[in-house]
Amino acid sequence: MGTPKAALAWHGSTLLRRTVGVVSRGTSGPVVVVRAPGQLLPDLPPDVEVRDDEQEGLGPLQGLSVGLHALAGRADVAFACSTDLPFLHPAFVRRVVGAMRDAYDVVLPMAHGFRQPLAAAYRPRLASLIDELLAEGARKPAFLFDRSRVLRLDDAELLADRVLAVGDPLLESVLNVNEPADYELALARPAPEVRVERFGVLAQDGHRGIRTVRAATVGAAAQAAGLRLDRHVVAAVDGDWVTRDGATPLVAGDAVSFVSADAGG
Amino acid sequence: MAPGGYFGRALVVDVGAATGEVLALPDQVLRDHLGGAGLGAWLLTELAPVGVDPLAPEAPLAFCFSPLVGTPLTTSAKFAVVAKSPLTGLLTDALASSHFAISGKLTGNDAIVVRGACERPTVLLVDATGARLEPADDVWGLSAAEAETVLRRRLGAGWRVAAIGPAGERGVRYATVSHDGRHAGRGGLGAVLGSKRVKAVAVHAGTKVAPADPAAVLAAARDLRTRSFGQATAKYRELGTLANLLSFNALSTLPTRNFTAATFEPAAQLAAEDLSEQRKVARNSCASCSIGCEHIYRRKGGKQVRVEYENVFALGPMCGVSDADEVLAASSRCDELGIDTISAGGTIAWAMECAERGLIDAPWLRFGDGPALLRALDEIGTGTGLGPLLAEGSRRAAEQIGGGSADFAPHVKGMEMPGYEPRTLHAMALGLAVNARGADHNRSGAYEADLSGELDRLDGGQAHVAAAIETEDRAAIMDSMILCKFLRGVFTEPFDEWAGLLRPVTGWDVDAAELRETARRIVLLKRSYNLREGWTAADDWLPERLLSEPLRLSSGREARLTPDRLRGMIDAYYAGRGLDASGRPVSTVP
Repeated sequence: MGTPKAALAWHGSTLLRRTVGVVSRGTSGPVVVVRAPGQLLPDLPPDVEVRDDEQEGLGPLQGLSVGLHALAGRADVAFACSTDLPFLHPAFVRRVVGAMRDAYDVVLPMAHGFRQPLAAAYRPRLASLIDELLAEGARKPAFLFDRSRVLRLDDAELLADRVLAVGDPLLESVLNVNEPADYELALARPAPEVRVERFGVLAQDGHRGIRTVRAATVGAAAQAAGLRLDRHVVAAVDGDWVTRDGATPLVAGDAVSFVSADAGG
Repeated sequence: MAPGGYFGRALVVDVGAATGEVLALPDQVLRDHLGGAGLGAWLLTELAPVGVDPLAPEAPLAFCFSPLVGTPLTTSAKFAVVAKSPLTGLLTDALASSHFAISGKLTGNDAIVVRGACERPTVLLVDATGARLEPADDVWGLSAAEAETVLRRRLGAGWRVAAIGPAGERGVRYATVSHDGRHAGRGGLGAVLGSKRVKAVAVHAGTKVAPADPAAVLAAARDLRTRSFGQATAKYRELGTLANLLSFNALSTLPTRNFTAATFEPAAQLAAEDLSEQRKVARNSCASCSIGCEHIYRRKGGKQVRVEYENVFALGPMCGVSDADEVLAASSRCDELGIDTISAGGTIAWAMECAERGLIDAPWLRFGDGPALLRALDEIGTGTGLGPLLAEGSRRAAEQIGGGSADFAPHVKGMEMPGYEPRTLHAMALGLAVNARGADHNRSGAYEADLSGELDRLDGGQAHVAAAIETEDRAAIMDSMILCKFLRGVFTEPFDEWAGLLRPVTGWDVDAAELRETARRIVLLKRSYNLREGWTAADDWLPERLLSEPLRLSSGREARLTPDRLRGMIDAYYAGRGLDASGRPVSTVP
């Protein structure tokens, strides 16, 4: 690609920043980024944890092991994904994580008929099993699935989730960009369509009501709404996540509310 | 000689014995507690008998001023009313504003304490010569505003009056003390004054007090005034606090139908954005204020009403009422009776749910029924029908009704909850749970952290605890200096900047570190007073409903506040405050 995938530009942000933001919206715990030793990462939110994968070249299981070890004791389920999923949707993350049951160790999407080990949910306790596999020279996720309890979800099962069915009906969450052409094609798509609304003093002077704009980030949505996020203006995505971080990613169908940060009284 | 901005004394009046005495306030006491709510907590600790019935003659009630009152510093014309609350049985302090603060202080006192009880309705008059009592039979039964008008006409326009309404006379446990349409609203201070048969306190300025460095105070005042016109106060200036309503609805943090939901479908009917255009007739300010947050709306029949978010939340979404005229009429009715709108709305919302569940025999009382809301308010005011039950507040009423209704009684420590949904605001949940006054948004502004975007408001943890402590400390100083909290957004380094305001007024070499210690002292003093009066760790908690009924947000996420999470935050709060595991101070207040 010429540039590490994590640092690839994405509508004013980066692919990694987008992925981290979407995973954060789809889960409720800490977000961990695993990087190669010395790898430079683009700007990330301050609460994102970065861990080094000390051994390069051991494949995805090695990175998965580092990430799961980092979450041990802090999460029952972890969503693990690669950084090159430009259309990953928070509803997909929630659907996969939410499918985990006591009887399973892995929730493995079988989107479009293919296994998606890098858009799947894992028990953090699998870290020790992965270490054993790696010590045995096993590098591929298939070895892990052979020795763990895996719940597979096909397209229909994934899309049984109504929010996902609306937000990502084609399951493009699992589309990755392996070649420059994939990336250029993905980037050429228009930014997602989102609804923006200004409230309170921000809605004065004819700014009341909902508008539909195209914006891949909260910052772009603010700009489209004629605002700038600062000490006095915050955004709430889907009536839930409150942020001043303009790089916060948006997905199609999001509603962004802009409110005065000087709440209270 | 007292420090700049102080007289170094409190006037303690026994209205039963018709005597007054001066209580000297040592410099160190003033420096340690500043004034307002801090000084009030100290006075209550010193003067209130241990375990006193809040409505007994011996129970003191203090009007406390502050070193900034009377200076040109914007928003400083405020006073605190402090007493043991008949609603919570613990300390309550409520702030109000405007000319009463200035005239009260310029009677030559940093505080005026009322104790004892009269045999007949009375007005207490205080000026620079001292105190005297006059009969008030002719204003007994009037609203606070009417009484104020009559008394000022009789005494002269130079007198400023704080009065109670009929609810205070009747002992409604959430009755207010009011001045010029503004209310020391929370905790039933009006009932305390009413139990003494004191309809009003009238004050007349008769002396002066000089700051230590008048030129520096003037320069600071000019600077602060300029900053007060900025974006940080735009919300208050342009739409008022009601601007919260539609925003909070969009954020799923608008308590609705007694906390059974966090969004209100017809919220737009009560939105400041529309009502302001359709109904606003005026904007007012307190004395010495450059913000001007008071927005006066016209209601059906041409009458005018001052509108705040908390009024509209409590009498609107909380009761399921969406008709703006009915909500504004209910707010006016609360003003006329002299009752706290938050406690009134919360208690009535609880009663509506009880009636719908068949726990109360009141088929006329239903969520969403505006006329029923007005009828319930009238019954509270007249002591008829459900009035005597509802006048007790939701905690005591639930104890009477039983049937599991305590689980959905919307209070903390007996004080009804303000318009902030704890399940979607975890820092605020903690602030509401541990605050000395009870469920309160003015002594804990932790919602600011929840809505800052700097933490996940649905995932309460250590950062939320730190935010709750910080905002509680800030409130302790602002309520004691006193400055209006609507000014808080203009301060970027608040403790430094507040010290910078206090230095030229008082002449003290106070700095941010000292003010942080002062804040901690005031918070702990309130907690220690409550402990003395029977507080237990079980009082630092939230209603069962909020801990057992999750909310589903439009995002798909579930907003859940579990007992374990709340327990963990409270434990961390205790540790952060230097309290023991049961929430008790480990040493005496320094």
